[in-house]
Amino acid sequence: MESLYSQQGVRSTGGLYAPMAKRLIAVDPSKCSGCRYCELWCSFAHEGVFSLSLSRISVVKDDRMGMDYPVVCRMCSPAPCIKACPHNALVQTEEGIIRVIEERCTGCGRCVKACPFGAVKMHPAKAKPLICDLCGGGEPVCVLKCPTGALRFYPVGEVGVSGSERAFDKAYTYALSQYKALLRRWGINVK
Amino acid sequence: MLSELYGYAGRILRVDLSKRSVKIEELDRKLIRGFLGGRGFNVKRLYDEVPKGVDPLSPENKLLFATGPIAGTGFPIGTRLNVTAKSPQTGLLGDSNVGGHFAAEMKYCGFDQIILEGKSDRPVYVYVHDGSVEFMDAQGLWGLTISEAYDAIRKELRDWRVQIALIGPAAENYVKFAGIFFNLHRPAARTGLGAVMASKNVKALVVRGDGYVEVAEPDEFEEFVREVEEAVYSHEQYWPRRVMGTSRILMAANRLGFLPADHFTKSVVDYAYQVSGERLAVEYNVKNRSCFSCILPCSRFYVIKRGKFAGLYGEGPEYEPLAGFTVRIGNRDLDAALKAISMVNDLGMDAITTSEVISWAMELYERGLLDEGETGGLKLKWGDMDTVFELIDMIAYRRGFGDLLADGVAKAAKKLGKGAEIALHVKGLELIQADPRGLKGYGLGFAVASRGADHLRSEPFIELSDDPRIGQLLFGEAEATMRLGVRGKGKLVAYYENWCAVVDSLEVCKNIAENMEILPFDKMAKLIEIVVGMKTCASDMMRIGERIVNIERAYIVRQGVRRRDDVLPRRFLKEPIAEGPSMGHVIELEVMLDEYYKERGWDPQTGIPTAEKLHELGLHEVVEDLRRNGVELRPALD
Repeated sequence: MESLYSQQGVRSTGGLYAPMAKRLIAVDPSKCSGCRYCELWCSFAHEGVFSLSLSRISVVKDDRMGMDYPVVCRMCSPAPCIKACPHNALVQTEEGIIRVIEERCTGCGRCVKACPFGAVKMHPAKAKPLICDLCGGGEPVCVLKCPTGALRFYPVGEVGVSGSERAFDKAYTYALSQYKALLRRWGINVK
Repeated sequence: MLSELYGYAGRILRVDLSKRSVKIEELDRKLIRGFLGGRGFNVKRLYDEVPKGVDPLSPENKLLFATGPIAGTGFPIGTRLNVTAKSPQTGLLGDSNVGGHFAAEMKYCGFDQIILEGKSDRPVYVYVHDGSVEFMDAQGLWGLTISEAYDAIRKELRDWRVQIALIGPAAENYVKFAGIFFNLHRPAARTGLGAVMASKNVKALVVRGDGYVEVAEPDEFEEFVREVEEAVYSHEQYWPRRVMGTSRILMAANRLGFLPADHFTKSVVDYAYQVSGERLAVEYNVKNRSCFSCILPCSRFYVIKRGKFAGLYGEGPEYEPLAGFTVRIGNRDLDAALKAISMVNDLGMDAITTSEVISWAMELYERGLLDEGETGGLKLKWGDMDTVFELIDMIAYRRGFGDLLADGVAKAAKKLGKGAEIALHVKGLELIQADPRGLKGYGLGFAVASRGADHLRSEPFIELSDDPRIGQLLFGEAEATMRLGVRGKGKLVAYYENWCAVVDSLEVCKNIAENMEILPFDKMAKLIEIVVGMKTCASDMMRIGERIVNIERAYIVRQGVRRRDDVLPRRFLKEPIAEGPSMGHVIELEVMLDEYYKERGWDPQTGIPTAEKLHELGLHEVVEDLRRNGVELRPALD
């Protein structure tokens, strides 16, 4: 499994980590069934309603290739979204969580464009970015609710940034580029 | 939340394709009380708005998509959608229920029901995003297969989250059993709804919404969901279903002796493992996939790893297509079956009916009743897959002998002038892959189901338990829950029909809610209270189920269906099963029918609901309407 995590720009420390080490939501797309239970309960935990547009995690899907790929904040440091924000509305905590200071945010959407994983999306009504906050301690809701173990709360040593920089539908492009490796392992060649 | 009713979106979208106009209507509270959602909403509207005598392929027919109060919430047992219209295949009720993600996305657009009416003057696809509707040009999409059109639409809209209901070439050629496919692998396949969509010149219906769904009691909902999660995760069927989905039934059907092998001439085969769900799980499946918000991902993504079809991949197959393209047509080659199923899907046809028309023609050919002159040179030998591939293509494009089969087995037999006695259908809808002689409750269900030979209207799964104590306890007849029993089946089927009607209207998964018995009537009532915030109880739920079954019956009665149409093909009534665990059995239909009508409160002579029963269910306007249409209603049973 380690190879999968490193494909996503995340290097595992192989279980050796200090108690205060950064933890993030690690994704195993070979296990994800695409039920979107994580999205629904993320939305419910944060907004009190069920919606795919209000969740901080998105399962990117392509039914032709059977792709279900959860995309969520990878807590990069330095974080491209923070760098891109012209109003200093984004800050990173010690644990690596990107926090949005709503009073400063103008909803310009540059963080959305800057995120190489397409993991930042806009609240459709409030026009403020929705970024994973790891549910403020303990296991995040998405990890708790995942029926297949495709999401895990994982300690990491260090997070690097990789992936393409295309503006259009970045989450899809990113997910697909990663998923293709899995398809090849299963004996499927897609163009 | 979009209305004062929690759970529901509260609005209905009416799309007039002739005028290219849309209208948004309020959801009526009375409709919710009476019919709950999904299948209930649809059949009520079909009854009211599509009168007797409408040609199913004319602009006057209406294509209805509806979902229920649970869609879009995080309730853990899936989300479904019901599609309804007058059926071009049977001329009666056209109705099909489908999983996937479409229903939730439609709810997030703010609609509980979408009505397509009229006819567009040229090919379009209808794109609903949030509250707005666009008529997109689809002239370039016409003729494309399901997967090609899916890719093209997603590319055009530049959005991976869109949910697409689309039709393939078979529907465009008015194949009478063409389905509507939801994102490739989830078809509302039965009763020919795809042809209705094609007759309206609509290639696809696309939805994408940023809305949300709120529940009335969030804390209680969370608690209830935890209970249901625990019940599902700890259920004995959880892992078998997760590993194999319904494809696990093939081996079980062989053990119990109700396989449809060689067009129902054999009920057991010696090659079951070769074509089984077990083998798929071991050698083909690479990952699981699931419907929206479901914690039991029972759909499987497979890859053929070696051989002639190496590299072929896709989702599924479920038991029906799997058995249809293996044992039913005498085929032992699993790879070839997967190829055939993916062809049928990509062309957009119902796999059950396709397998029936092919196996029917094969039986005629093998018995020497059909010659190569009539088939255009095709040698229809059992299990000859190259011929099957060719025939599938010929049906979808209505070429040669395929043109004859494309109207379904009943009409094909009529046109051919022979084979009617072995055409396995009820009311024009072809039989599923289970032999009713070995599953008598299912058999009764096929005979009385409102859309034709179909198990999903009643699904009396409990009779597979073969446990007389349950039957004694629930129905006062030990035989009721024994698969080869006869007495008590009327009560059994009526009870399960009511249950299925509510599950289909709640729009949750029937496998989990009913077959795994996660949501009995009291739990469904509790769920409605928590999600919708409407006081209700278990007996209310039962009444809703009964009401839906009765209005469906009234709909087909208005089209002329009587007791004489509640029959099974001769093979099941007269020819005993020759071998295996169900050996010697035929189905004793008349006895079961009498009991069923009595249980239903319908006239046993005609099969028409009595006026008393309809009034009791609050269907007063149906009584008047039936009388206006010249149907004689018996006032009451003695």
